[in-house]
Amino acid sequence: MAEYNEKKSRDGQMRAAINQQLVETGEREKLKELLRMRLSECGWRDQLKQICKEIVRERGLEHVTVDDLIQEITPQARQLVPDSIKKELLHRIRTFLAQQANL
Amino acid sequence: MTGIQCCPHIVSFKEAHGLEPFKITQKWLVHCSTPEARQVRARSCTCKVCNSYSGRLHTCLHCIYFGCYERHHIHQHAQDTNHYLAMDLSYGQTYCFHCQDYIYDKQVEQIAQHEWRKVCKFNGWSETLLSTLPYWEPTGVELESLRLNPKRRKIAADSYVGLRGLVNLGNTCFMNCILQAFVHTPMLRDYFLAERHECEKDQCLVCEMTTLFQKFYAGERTAYVPFRLLHLVWTNARHLAGYEQQDAHEFLIAALDLLHQHLSASSDMVNNNNNNKIITGRPSTSSTENSISREDVNGVDDDSNGSSGNPCGCIIDQIFTGGWQSDVTCQRCSGVSTTIDPFWDISLDLPGSMSSPWHCMSPTQTAAPGLAPTIGTVNVTSEQRPMSLKDCLNRFTRPEHLGSAAKIKCSRCHSYQESTKQLTLNKLPIVLCFHLKRFEHTNKSRRKIATYISFPMDLDMSPFMASRRSVNTRDENTVDDALKENKYSLFAVVNHLGSLQSGHYSVFVRQHRDQWFQCNDATILKATIPDVMQSEAYLLFYHKQYIDYD
Ligand SMILES: [Zn+2]
Ligand SMILES: [Zn+2]
Ligand SMILES: [Zn+2]
Ligand SMILES: [Zn+2]
Ligand SMILES: [Zn+2]
Ligand SMILES: [Zn+2]
Repeated sequence: MAEYNEKKSRDGQMRAAINQQLVETGEREKLKELLRMRLSECGWRDQLKQICKEIVRERGLEHVTVDDLIQEITPQARQLVPDSIKKELLHRIRTFLAQQANL
Repeated sequence: MTGIQCCPHIVSFKEAHGLEPFKITQKWLVHCSTPEARQVRARSCTCKVCNSYSGRLHTCLHCIYFGCYERHHIHQHAQDTNHYLAMDLSYGQTYCFHCQDYIYDKQVEQIAQHEWRKVCKFNGWSETLLSTLPYWEPTGVELESLRLNPKRRKIAADSYVGLRGLVNLGNTCFMNCILQAFVHTPMLRDYFLAERHECEKDQCLVCEMTTLFQKFYAGERTAYVPFRLLHLVWTNARHLAGYEQQDAHEFLIAALDLLHQHLSASSDMVNNNNNNKIITGRPSTSSTENSISREDVNGVDDDSNGSSGNPCGCIIDQIFTGGWQSDVTCQRCSGVSTTIDPFWDISLDLPGSMSSPWHCMSPTQTAAPGLAPTIGTVNVTSEQRPMSLKDCLNRFTRPEHLGSAAKIKCSRCHSYQESTKQLTLNKLPIVLCFHLKRFEHTNKSRRKIATYISFPMDLDMSPFMASRRSVNTRDENTVDDALKENKYSLFAVVNHLGSLQSGHYSVFVRQHRDQWFQCNDATILKATIPDVMQSEAYLLFYHKQYIDYD
């Protein structure tokens, strides 16, 4: 158990270090932008907009909060992201990490 | 009442604290355009409670505090301190805990836009071409036109919008089929429908194209009469004037050239030029000194290959300009001189050509990817499959021995030597046009080669890339990368039916993801994928599957 916890905390530290590196180099911003473009290219954005609109129309604007909306659509939204986009981002992150000497 | 400007809390917040908290947060934490800001963001932004940097991190606008939204740690802070405004660190939206909602404020939006522009500038992202601005704020004119046109249209997946016939104005099918291909080029459509071209000229081809796109997407069903456009083409490209059948390929090149000329002369380019990163891969090493043009090598080649103007970064260049790399290797010293030439289309010789005979090329000889095809393979199988586009490309990019009649001065050993020449692609365009040279003009006659050439729906250009052919780039990563980045999808096929004298052009275009239609002047018919794939293609239009925004 102790070993497991140790590993977990090491993983967490690694993750935080990677995140810091991504932010500091500006790579995170680039990835975010790429993702945004890809999601609108493939129609994901329009699709989600439509789903949100339908929920709001169904229940009336007064009875839907942002929190409800987020909670309701998140699982579906994640599922709707095409595999090719996930793969592309993963690949970009891998390539980026391979180039980082100090990690 | 609209949803906008209904939070009174932000008003009192601004009265008490001004705009400074918004400015500082946007600049240092949300849209970081300097290394210093990114460092601050990277080191300070974690949830004070759970230490996480994810989970929709928000920052308090009243004090320095970070908390995640997902586990309600920012909510906890708001409750404990009555600090009611927070900002989401991913997109910079302001959240009001009294209203329990994200709120909009014009001044805050303006600050966000300002900082976002700096990020674009820092990264070299184009604001114009990619419309990267995450916020769209309608201008007065746009608001007015939204008011005047209250009807909103949603384009369903089976909608026919964008499909419209073109009236034949007397043997003008050569023009109609190219216009149809243009109208169905996604990136051109985006450009023209967004009215990016601003001009006050009376007779402008670009303006006329804008009209054409609008007429196509306005939803009318009757065939459009492209009279003004034809007139403009006639006055601008004399060689295409008159009521006789012209070559669709010639029209394609002339149209691209005219559009490019109009655009580079117009004022649009002023703000376009320094902004668009997409075009920076442009070949600039081109020197005419050592360069032997394809024309010299391949003998007769009467198409002006689009390189008439220099790439200027206009929308035509951004979409259609690719680059050939020509490597000429000296037989004596093995010195390589490389030249790079821009192109708008790839003209391929067909089997059966007399000016460029295909001896010893067997269709079964599929070169292993990354390897130059071997010359002189004998025909081994008796069963012949039809020649394919890839066969033509293999032949076009094979190393070619320039005989003793074509000795060139080697820049390394400074003597006239025989050499080997190989063409590879150095830069891929977003839209790749192939011209299958079905029409042959010899000094005695003109004839048509009617051979069927097969072509794929999805095309991978990796084997023809310069980077692929060089020796040391064959590790797994590059291959993986190339596979994705060099992939194309077919979206238009121009066909020439009938004989040379009494021929007719029509075109298959792709609509939505996988629906095909045959446009035959004023008539449009639904087509099946086999209809398209079995047709005798003359021009093929492929669109890049992945557009690299970097
Ligand atoms: Zn409020
Ligand atoms: Zn937290
Ligand atoms: Zn606070
Ligand atoms: Zn104009
Ligand atoms: Zn241009
Ligand atoms: Zn030499």
